[in-house]
Amino acid sequence: MMIKFFIPNRLHGEKIIFLLRRHPMILLAKLINWALISVLPLIFYWLLSDSISRIFPGTIFMPLVILFTSLFYLYIWLFAFASYVDYYLDVWIVTNQRIIDIEQKGLFSRVVAEQKIDRIQDVTSEIKGFFSTMLDYGNVYVQTAGEKERFVFKQVPAPYQVAKKIGKIIEQNQRKNQAKK
Amino acid sequence: MAIPISIFYYIYLIFVAIFLIFTFFNVYHLLRFGFLSLGNIAVTFFYITITILILSVSWGYLNQIDWQQTFSIIPQLP
Repeated sequence: MMIKFFIPNRLHGEKIIFLLRRHPMILLAKLINWALISVLPLIFYWLLSDSISRIFPGTIFMPLVILFTSLFYLYIWLFAFASYVDYYLDVWIVTNQRIIDIEQKGLFSRVVAEQKIDRIQDVTSEIKGFFSTMLDYGNVYVQTAGEKERFVFKQVPAPYQVAKKIGKIIEQNQRKNQAKK
Repeated sequence: MAIPISIFYYIYLIFVAIFLIFTFFNVYHLLRFGFLSLGNIAVTFFYITITILILSVSWGYLNQIDWQQTFSIIPQLP
């Protein structure tokens, strides 16, 4: 099921070694942010209901409050869901033959890039900042041969272990290629 | 000059339509490019359920309003 949905143009004998997404804390932080914003209309209403009712006459005040509140919560809910979709669809897959970078950029842009394992030259991990250090998440940079940009696994859990595992896969691949020769 | 308050209702409906279009594309992306795990389907159903709940509650309140009322944008002299 995973292979069917995630690997574009699957190669012969290709197996998923691991599949990475951002650390769940990144999603949680976004959801907490939307939850905090959702309290704003209540505070706004509590503080300014008297002034607003004076600005807008009686017939129009309540309909406006209901329409605005309804739209506000609908869109907060939509943005929270979009945060989840963005988190869920940004995936980095390492197989025994290649690395695939799938990123959902907004609603109508999806970028899929891939690179063969034997073209990888360097793998670096980076943990930067207080929360990243405490929760052990960060970036993994995969530098490939040629002029192509390096791959970045963004805010993935345990970046050091991920870099180490990719290094091992590269070694295994090199040994296999040498044995074939 | 008197304007019916229903004008706000129509503006509201346009925003709801935009919301529904974006909802459709989000759910489509999740089901098309995501993988069919139980968690993924549960999140989608939870999202749709809460959306229906917000729309139903809103409809309940909006139904009580007389949209034929008008308001004046130019202050009337006594």
